[in-house]
Amino acid sequence: MSFLTISHLEKSFGVTRVVKNFNLDVEKGEFISLLGPSGCGKTTVLRMVAGFETPSAGNITIEGREVSSLRPNQRNIGMVFQAYALFPNLTVAQNVGFGLRVKGVPAREIAARVEEMLALIGLPELGDRYPFQLSGGQQQRVALARALAPKPQVLLLDEPLSALDAKVRVSLRNEIRAIQRELGITTIFVTHDQEEALSMSDRIVVMHQGVAEQVGTPFEIYNTPATRFVAGFVGTLNTLDAKVLDPSIGRVKLGGNEMTLGRAIPPGEALLGLRPEMLRLGAHPGEAALTGTITELDFLGSVIRLRIDLGGQPLAVDLFNTTRQAPPKVGETVSLALNPSDALVIGG
Amino acid sequence: MTRAASWAVLLLGLTYFILPLVGMVEFSLSMRRGEYSFDAYAAVLADPQFRETFSYSVVMALLTIVFGILLVVPTAFWVRLKLPRLRPLVEFVTLLPLVIPAIVTVFGYIRLYNTSSWLPLTGTIFGTNLLLMFGYAMLSLPYMYRAVDTGLRTIDVATLTEAAQSLGAGWVTIITRLILPNVLVAVLSGSFVTFAIVMGEFTMAALLNRPAFGPYLQLMGANKAYEPFALATIAFIITWACMGLIQLVTRFTKHDKAGR
Ligand SMILES: Nc1ncnc2c1ncn2[C@@H]1O[C@H](COP(=O)(O)OP(=O)(O)OP(=O)(O)O)[C@@H](O)[C@H]1O
Ligand SMILES: [Mg+2]
Repeated sequence: MSFLTISHLEKSFGVTRVVKNFNLDVEKGEFISLLGPSGCGKTTVLRMVAGFETPSAGNITIEGREVSSLRPNQRNIGMVFQAYALFPNLTVAQNVGFGLRVKGVPAREIAARVEEMLALIGLPELGDRYPFQLSGGQQQRVALARALAPKPQVLLLDEPLSALDAKVRVSLRNEIRAIQRELGITTIFVTHDQEEALSMSDRIVVMHQGVAEQVGTPFEIYNTPATRFVAGFVGTLNTLDAKVLDPSIGRVKLGGNEMTLGRAIPPGEALLGLRPEMLRLGAHPGEAALTGTITELDFLGSVIRLRIDLGGQPLAVDLFNTTRQAPPKVGETVSLALNPSDALVIGG
Repeated sequence: MTRAASWAVLLLGLTYFILPLVGMVEFSLSMRRGEYSFDAYAAVLADPQFRETFSYSVVMALLTIVFGILLVVPTAFWVRLKLPRLRPLVEFVTLLPLVIPAIVTVFGYIRLYNTSSWLPLTGTIFGTNLLLMFGYAMLSLPYMYRAVDTGLRTIDVATLTEAAQSLGAGWVTIITRLILPNVLVAVLSGSFVTFAIVMGEFTMAALLNRPAFGPYLQLMGANKAYEPFALATIAFIITWACMGLIQLVTRFTKHDKAGR
């Protein structure tokens, strides 16, 4: 039995079904991300785990104990909100100690634990400040310390980084992950930022319109997306219509080019998925070759993104910027190579 | 508008407010012929009835404030949190005391709670005092509710409540440790208005026949010359002292300074 089990979870607001047959098993100490576009039901799932919403159907168990009937303050859960939600009338130390104080822990123990938590988040000097005297990143770290101080069974984070600017966001996500690893706390992290999800998670749940479309490691989600939605949502994906010439060896024709995938695929029409970074300029022995015309060139620093017209179908290609090679020019006809076994054949 | 014109308007306004005050204070000091003295004040303070009615009204005002806070803070909180659709209705109800004359209310009270009714509150002194306090609380409702509701608007009630709940807090903890401290200044200004209302209220106290300060003021005004003005000055000073206190509290509430 998993540490946290969510089974057949449903939620409707009025007649709208917002979460549909959601299932998830989380192991102790695992870091799970719920990833999906706005409005797909991520927050709603998280709020049901926290107890702020009542499921329309289904069960949630933590360490084998059914929690659906428990009120939020009876569940042993730590929560971090997008808007920090620090108590403005309390100092940083009082904020962090709030959960322990509510539990009736002796003052001396609270002080020790608060000190420990402030050291953990790297703000040992700021205990006497009020929230309004802190930067956004500091406030969110205090919010994390506050959620962790009472040693919750599960930590829930609802887009904790989205109110912060880009630099802080990256450094804080590494810090959150490091703290999570150090404490070994089971964590569910909601985000609509795929980079966040890919870089932080043990496993990702990709959600779409209330349904968990795929659950898997970042590697699996990115490299073998189970559905067309996952393939399109996570990373940039070129989708190309292809005609299957020989299903048994996966020979396909796309945009005036032919290539062999080297594995059996369904006959008829196929939808191929190619990541921009799968393709390289020039001819490489043992790889499939595609020919197209460059229509656009974006210089993005370390990467050059090309848009290529492949017999009428657009194709984005990412090249590493290197000084050894002059960049191609718009209007040039180029040859592209890819490892055919990398190409995704998208069903669903 | 030019600078001179703005100054002229300001001066005019100040004159409009200050002249009557000066007149009042001046007259209250003129009991002794030909010179200023505090005779009127001495006479007022020496009057045992003054001390009785004044302390009665202060106690009633404090009780009303406590009752008002207990009633209004959780209500306004709950309405904001769980029944936002009902807010216009609740606001309308809290404004009713401004439209319904106190005399109508108090007659209603007397009819409903007289000695031959199902709840004979007017049968005992304690019951009558209780009834009067409810009446005062109702009169101050428009001010108290608005003040608290405005105070609640400055914090994210829903998220803060959920944060506290996830940390294990129950409703009592949330209201006393979180909501109340954050709307303290609003509660204080509501309390101050309540205090002023109770100290001056005449109709309810008179009709319920309780020895309050309002009826005493009226009695003095009808029978004495200088003392009512001394009383009015005292009342005025109390009012301003309250306002000064609010200012002080606002200044010393550290977390209110910024960040909102
Ligand atoms: N209390 C509510 N009453 C009615 N509908 C709601 C309520 N809460 C959420 N919804 C609806 O449920 C759907 C899912 O909402 P949810 O907040 O879970 O999305 P989300 O995935 O967290 O989106 P975002 O990334 O924008 O935060 C939305 O269409 C939303 O309008
Ligand atoms: Mg959300």
